[in-house]
Order: sequence, then C-alpha cells, then structure tokens
Amino acid sequence: MREDLLWVEKYRPKRIMDIVGNEEAKTAFVNWFKNAHRTKKAVLLYGPPGVGKTTLVNAAANEFSFRVIEMNASDTRSEKAITRVAGPAVAFAALDTFSTESKGNVLFMDEVDGIAGNEDRGGVSTILRIIEDSRVPVIMAANDPDIEKLRPLKKVSALIRFYQVRIPMIISLLQEICHREGIKAEFEALERIAENSRGDVRSAINDLQSLGETTKTLTLQDTVALSARNRDVSMDETLRRFFSVKSLQDASMLLSYSNVDYDDLLMSIGDNLPLRFTNPEDLAAAYNFVSRADMYRGRIGVENWHLLRYFFNSLAEAAAVSPESYQPFTLISPPIRVITLFWTKGKRTALDSICAKIGQRCHVSRATAKTDFLPFIKILLARNKADDVVSWLELLPEEAEFISKMNRL
Amino acid sequence: MAAEDEAVMWVEKYRPKTLDEVVDLKDIVESLKAFMRNPKTMPHLLLAGIPGTGKTTVALCIARELFGQNWRTFTLELNASDERGIDTVRDRVKDFSRYSRSAFGNVPYALIVLDESDQMTGPAQTALRRIMETSSRTSRFILICNQSGKIIEPIQSRCAIFRFSKLDRRAMIDHLCCIAKKENVKLAPEAAERIVDYAEGDLRHAINALQTAAAYKEGVVDEKTVALVVGEASPAQVQLMIRKALNGDFIDARKQMYDLIGTFGFSGSEIVRQMQRELFKMSGLTPEQKADLADVVGEYDYRLTQGANSDIQLSALLAQFAKIGKPKGETT
Repeated sequence: MREDLLWVEKYRPKRIMDIVGNEEAKTAFVNWFKNAHRTKKAVLLYGPPGVGKTTLVNAAANEFSFRVIEMNASDTRSEKAITRVAGPAVAFAALDTFSTESKGNVLFMDEVDGIAGNEDRGGVSTILRIIEDSRVPVIMAANDPDIEKLRPLKKVSALIRFYQVRIPMIISLLQEICHREGIKAEFEALERIAENSRGDVRSAINDLQSLGETTKTLTLQDTVALSARNRDVSMDETLRRFFSVKSLQDASMLLSYSNVDYDDLLMSIGDNLPLRFTNPEDLAAAYNFVSRADMYRGRIGVENWHLLRYFFNSLAEAAAVSPESYQPFTLISPPIRVITLFWTKGKRTALDSICAKIGQRCHVSRATAKTDFLPFIKILLARNKADDVVSWLELLPEEAEFISKMNRL
Repeated sequence: MAAEDEAVMWVEKYRPKTLDEVVDLKDIVESLKAFMRNPKTMPHLLLAGIPGTGKTTVALCIARELFGQNWRTFTLELNASDERGIDTVRDRVKDFSRYSRSAFGNVPYALIVLDESDQMTGPAQTALRRIMETSSRTSRFILICNQSGKIIEPIQSRCAIFRFSKLDRRAMIDHLCCIAKKENVKLAPEAAERIVDYAEGDLRHAINALQTAAAYKEGVVDEKTVALVVGEASPAQVQLMIRKALNGDFIDARKQMYDLIGTFGFSGSEIVRQMQRELFKMSGLTPEQKADLADVVGEYDYRLTQGANSDIQLSALLAQFAKIGKPKGETT
C-alpha cells in the first residue's frame, strides 16, 4: 500500500474515538447518525477549519459501514451538477443495500458555505430539494454558518457545532506523531506549533511536517518561521501585523506567508504609512523603501515574478524602520484613491469636457488646456471679460459657472 | 472655417498662418520651405522642443501651405495624451487615410499631425511605426514632442528631425508688443519683460498672460497687473501642497495631493512636473534648498516612470519634503 506523503492524510483517524477534541459534537453526531428514526434527515456540522468535521464523517461511515458520496467546494455546485452527482446516490440507496455489504449511502456536502452566488446558481435550493426527496442521510459541513444563503438549509437540519481543539490535546497528538516519525522534538517547539495553529489540528500537523520531516530534530529555534503563519490572513490582519513587526525578519516572514493581493497590499501600506510613522524622519525612510518596492512591482510587470522577493524585501525594510515606535492605530481601510476618485468623479468629468473643448479650439491636449489655459480663463471670468471667450470656445453657461466656482488650480 | 478668423483667444488669433510669419525660427523655416516647393519630397517630420516654441504652429502652417483653404480636410490632428491607446490612433489613421485618399493638387498624400507623441509608451510607438509604414503611400506624419529621446530609434530614423530651442527673449518681447499694438493695448516695457520672465521661453504662456493682464485695466498693461496675473494664475494648489509638506504636515500635504488627482484629474507625472516648475518660483527658500529639493523631485520623477503605483511615489516624495523641510530644532 502506498504510504501517504502528507501527514495529515497518513494520520487521519479512521475511528471516531481517535479524533481529538470536540467530544460533545462527536457524541451528538453519532447519536444522529445511528438513529434510524431521526427527526431531521440532514445535519449541518459547523466550526473553524481543521478541527475534524470531514474526518468525523468519514470515520463514522467507516465504523457504521456506510458509503460516503462526497461533493466539496472544488466541484461546481450548480443545480445541474448537484443533481447529477447526488440524484442517483440518494435514489438508489435501497438497491445498494442489497447488493453490497454497505448499509447504504450517505451524501456528504463539504464546505456548503462556499456555494458561490453565480456559478453555483440554484445550488442551495437544489440541496433543499434533495434533502426533501432523499432516502439517505444528508450531511453538510461549513465554516461559517451565519451567512444568509445557508438560512434555509439550517431550518431543515440538525445543527452540530465544532470548536477549536484545545492546545494540550494538539500537543499530545504532535508528540505521538513525532514518536512514530522518529523525530526528537523539544516540548517548547511543539507547544509553539500548537499555539500558533489556533486550534486547527490540520495546520498544526502540516507545520510539524514542514519543520521536522527532513531534520528529524525540532528545537524552539526552528519554529521562528512560524511567527507569521496563519491560515486565511486577511488584509486587515496582515496590515496590523505588518505595522507592528519587531524585526526585519518578522516582516519578511509575514510577507512571504501572506497570500493577500500584492497590489492591494502595496496600496494599503502606502495609505496607512503616515499613521504608523509619525516622526518625519521615519516616515521618509519608510516611504523610501515602499517606493522602492513599487519600482520592483513596476519591473515585475506581468512576467518577471522572480523579482517578487525584492519587492517583499523592500516592503519588509519599510516595516522594520523603527519597530520601537509602534503605537496601535486605526487602519484606513478603503483605499484613499478609490474613495477620492469616487467622490470627485462629477467634477473631473465636467473639467474634462471643458478642457476637450479648449483643446479642440487651441490645438492643445486636455492636460495642457487644464494647466495653460484654464487659469487665465478663470481670471477673465472673474473680471467679467470672458463672454466672447466663452462663446468662442462654445462653453455652456453651466460650464463657465463651473470654471468660476472651482478651486484655483 | 469662419471661427478661425474670429478667434478670440489671442494665442489662436495671432497664431502665424504662414511659415514666413513664424517667430524666430529662420533655419527651420528655410528647410521646410524647400519641402513646400516640391511637396513630394517631404519626408515624415519630427518636431522636438520645449512647450510654446512653435512646433504645433509650424505643423499647421505646413498643412496650410500644402492644402490651402481646405487644409482641415486633408489634415488629421491627434493628441497622443488625449487618445486612449494606440488602437484608437490606428483606427483613426486608417479611417482618415481611406477617406482622404484622393490627393490634393500636386500633394499625393494627406497629413497626420500627432502632438505630444512622446507621451506614447514604447509598445504603442512600435505599433505607430507599423502604421507609418503601411500608410506611407497615402500619408505623411508630423510627430510633435518635447523630448526626441523618448521617441524610439526606428521612428526617429524615418523622420527628418527639427529641434526647437527656447525662443529668443528679444523676439518674444517684440512679438508681444506687436500683438498689444494690434489690440490697442499700451504694453509697458517692464511689463513685457516681466511676462517674458514668467513665461520661461513659452510664447503660448506669455500671450495668455498678456491677454489676461489686458482685462484688468482698459487699454493698459503695466508691471503691477502682470504681477497680479502671474500670482493669480500660478498653480496655487501645487504650491500649497509643497508648503504643507515643507512644514512637516505630511497628512495635509497628501490631502492636497489627492485633491489634485481627484478634482483636477492630474496624473502623477503631471503633478511632479508642476512641483518642479513651482519649486523655483517659491519664496522663502534659498537657492541651495531649492536645488536640494529639485534633486529629490528628479529622483522621484524617475521612480515614477519605473513604478507601478503613482500615489505611492508621490506620497514618498512628499514624505522626503516633510523630512527636509521640518522646522529646525526638532529631533534629527
């Protein structure tokens, strides 16, 4: 038998009792699963990632001899797709019972909160219909049960909540794996990994594998790289960490592990930099690095991605300009440029059409019209000497008024 | 077209109609007139030089000399900084050369004047080169730019290049006096000097200033009115932005910057160019300080061309100003 390369697969529990943590949820699920006269045909397992929802479903099916028909977020879940996969599974459940040793099918829809609005059109209502028609148990799992789309599903399902797995339980699991893999690990190192995982067993095991597999020894020192590791680091969180780093190394780690959009990140850092560095010397130094990062971004263009490390390096240098001066501050979150352009769009459009008229008449670009003609026309208007100019340029009365009222350039 | 004769803006009203009227460009005019005598020999032209020195005027004069009254029919005027991209240019050129194929008299081509062509990106210029080649039987191009260095070699090598240098001070003053006389305005000699100082070799700027000054007092332009006009027409917002930055007030300076971007629709490079121009006009700075600041502006002007996000570069530039200009006595 092929040995699984990924430890999360290799050590995935096959029995319910081997799953760490969430005892209540496990009991509730087993009770629902074993009860042939269950009041609700469907169950929704919800909670943070990596705590054992999928594992529990597979372990239970294994123990009670059911076959799992699974659909997860990587499948498209439009009405058609769901009906194609799930339809036969739920309809022919009875036949299957006689033909194999299996007691029947269960339909498992993982990550139902990931059903996207457009591509998976009709997805939720199709699932509802399947639950209604189904003769087999329907199990669903989600991270965030509070989203509006899932409300109809929650109504028809039993709800079972999962929590983050407690740190000591993760540590003992990691110890067990180290023992089996022959890794000598400092307790503090495992503690660090467990804490950093925030109760996510899957990511803790992944971290252990990435740090310890090749070296076979694991010290606290080796876990430094973890400081910035976190799944699903959102932009705000990335920024908050970015601005509060303690060292250049911290910053580099954070950036190399973050998976936010580079251009958004660059823009947000630029927006927030003056809130972070209030001393002009620091601000100038930090902006110098961000400016260099932007130049690398320019050189990267769409193809020179090997330059990305220099982009990150410059950004990291900006973050590390004066770690000791960090004071918490409120992030500016919508990009200043976007907001500015939104509020000024009307003015800009008006100005643009005025300048186009000037440009047409005077053989200059709109930009030149704006800088070299508009200020003079504004003065003429202010002195009531512009009537013939206005009519020659074919400016509308409201356009003339716009020029009069606009701020001086 | 009637509007041309009744032009109200003096820059248009007194724009030379023939090459002979053009101010202070004897050498260039002589070479061009040789082409006019036998239009078939005229190559593509590249006119390069600082603003307001007569490049567009010369191009329009050529159009008039080639096609006479109907010059507009046979001339396509495009401005690279206005056109969205090379595709628009290509389409318009294609349409135009098809439309005006019927040659005029002994001129076997139509004229395409592409102003501010140095605003085009490298790839766009490469595409332009193709267009020039494919339409060379039916069209002649006059490319106008500030810096010929920004035009790619293959295009330069296909053009006869004419360089327009800063206009002669005396010639500018004479021209202003001539316009004033025709407009029945008494232009004081010191006022003329003052306008020419202000315009820095840009005749268009000078004429606009003169016309505006003439609106202050009936029939008279003296030094004081010129000073008023210059003050009122100078880009106050840009100066304000610089002042705020130099006072160490970065956040306010940046607000000002976003006002320029949002309300006035300026691009990053336009703002930097204006900063450079205004910096030298600002009072309260020693020449050494101005030189230092200009050096910083130059550095960020370059970075702007390399970078991806102009807001970042402008903000970074203002931050450098805030550091340099921060009031003495603070911690260094």
